[in-house]
Amino acid sequence: MKKVVNIPLGSQHISLLEPIRFQFTTENEKIVEVGADVGFVHRGIEKACTEKFEWKKVGYVVARVCGLCAITHSLSYTLAAEKLLGYQANERIKYLRMLMVELDRIHSHMLCLAHVSENAGFEAMFMQIMADRELVMDIQEAISGNRVQFDFIAIGGVNRDLTPELVQRVHKNLDALKPKIDDLMERFTNNWSLSLKYKGIGVLTYEEAYTYNALGPLARAAGLKTDVRAESSYFPYEEVGYEMVLESSGDIYARNIVRLREICNSIQMCKNIVDNLPAGEIIEKVKGKPDGETIIRVEAPRGELFYLVRGSKKNLLDRVRIKTPTFSAIPAMIEVFKGSEYADAPAILASFDPCMSCTAK
Amino acid sequence: MLKALIQAFTNLFKPVHTVKYPFEEDIVRPKDYRGLIEHNDEECVFCDKCEKACPPKSIVFYQHTDGTKEYRYNPYLCIYCGECVRACPKPHEALWQSDKKQTSATKEDDVNNTWFAWQREAAQSRETYAAMKKAAKASKRESKEE
Repeated sequence: MKKVVNIPLGSQHISLLEPIRFQFTTENEKIVEVGADVGFVHRGIEKACTEKFEWKKVGYVVARVCGLCAITHSLSYTLAAEKLLGYQANERIKYLRMLMVELDRIHSHMLCLAHVSENAGFEAMFMQIMADRELVMDIQEAISGNRVQFDFIAIGGVNRDLTPELVQRVHKNLDALKPKIDDLMERFTNNWSLSLKYKGIGVLTYEEAYTYNALGPLARAAGLKTDVRAESSYFPYEEVGYEMVLESSGDIYARNIVRLREICNSIQMCKNIVDNLPAGEIIEKVKGKPDGETIIRVEAPRGELFYLVRGSKKNLLDRVRIKTPTFSAIPAMIEVFKGSEYADAPAILASFDPCMSCTAK
Repeated sequence: MLKALIQAFTNLFKPVHTVKYPFEEDIVRPKDYRGLIEHNDEECVFCDKCEKACPPKSIVFYQHTDGTKEYRYNPYLCIYCGECVRACPKPHEALWQSDKKQTSATKEDDVNNTWFAWQREAAQSRETYAAMKKAAKASKRESKEE
C-alpha cells in the first residue's frame, strides 16, 4: 500500500549547514515531489549596492555576499564596472586575479568534499580535509592580508603584489597539498562507503542537466560541457593550462571526482601562474563613472556567477543584479531529488555544495 | 580501506592541529597582515580623503570651532580593507594599517550607541562650523561695504 507523507528538510536540520528548506512528498520513502525555499538569510545587499554605497565601494560590499567565494563576487563586480568604464586590465593584473580565483576554487571544493565525507560517516576525514585546507587558506592570507575577507581586487587592478617569498610559499604549500589530494582521490575511488555507496545515488543525466540548466561541477559530472572559464575571454585560462574536467555518470561519486580533478587542475594552474607572472603595474588609475548596462559571467567554485550592473554617470548605481550558481541550479537539484530515497537526501544535498548566503544575499 | 584504517590509528599519536586559543596564542600572522588603522595627528593634513574613501564610514572628523579637526575611528565597524591608507596623501606617516587585532566588545562598552552619538556630533559640528564661517564672511562683507 502506498502512503503519501510530507517531510520537510530544513530550514533548521541537523544535516544542513545553511538554512534552506525542501518540502518532500514521499511515497514509501521514495521522493515524488519537491518544493524549495531559499530566502532565509536575505540581507538586502542588492538594494544596499544601489542606495547606500557609492559605485567605487560596491566591490567591498558584494565581497561580503559569501565568505567562500568572496573573491569571485568582488571580481565579477569589478569586471563589470571596468567594462562600463572602458578599461582593459594588463596581463599581470589578470594573472594575479586568476591566481586568487583558482585558490578560492581549491579551498571551496575541499570544504564540499569534507562535508561529503562527513555525510558518509567519516568525521575524522572531515577534520583532516579541513586541516589540509588551511594550506590554501594560509596562502590566501599571506597574499591578501586576511583569511576570509580578502579585499584583494580593486577597480583598476589589485591591491597587493606577489613577492618572491610569497611565490615560494605558494609552491611550498601547493606541493604539500598535492599528495594529500592524490591520497583523497584514492580514498574517494577505492573506499566502499565513499565510492560504491555513492555510485548511482542522486543521478542527474546529461539530458536533465541540459534541460534544467545545471552548472558548475553538477553539470560537468553529468558530462555537460559548460564552464565559463572556457567560454569567456576575460582571462587567459588556456595559457596557464586549464582543462575542462568531465565525468559522465552524474551521481554523487562523479561530482566528488570532478571536484578532486578540478582541484588538481587548479593546483597546476596556480603554479603556472606564479611561475609565469608577467611584468607590469598592479593598479592603474581609472577615470569616469559607470554609464550604461553590462553583464559579466565568472566561473565561481559552484558554477556560473552572473552580474548585471547598470549605471548612469552618477555616484550611485541604478541596478546591481547578482545571480548565483546555487540559485540557478535549484531546478536541477529538485530533479535529482525526485525518485531517490529520502534517506539519501542529506548526502545528495551535500554533494550539490549549496551556498545559501550567496543565494539569498 | 586498510590504508585509511592505518592512518586513522596513527593519527591518534600525532600532535593536534589546533591551539588552546585564549591560553596559548601562537597563531602566526603573516607579514603585512591587515589589522587596525592607526593615525598620527601631527602628520595628518586633515584633507578628509580617508573619510570619503572608507566603505563602511568608520572614520569621521569632528570639526572644532577654532578650525582644527579631530580624528575619530570605529575599530568595530572597520572592515580593514585599507582603502583609507591608499587614499591618504601621506601614507605610513599620517595613516597606516597596523597588524594589531581588535578585541571583541562587551555590552558594557556600548559600542554602537557611542559611535552613533559621535557621528551625529561630527555632522553637527560641521554644520555649526559652516554656519559660523558663513556668518563671519557676511559680517566681513558688510563691514567692507560700510
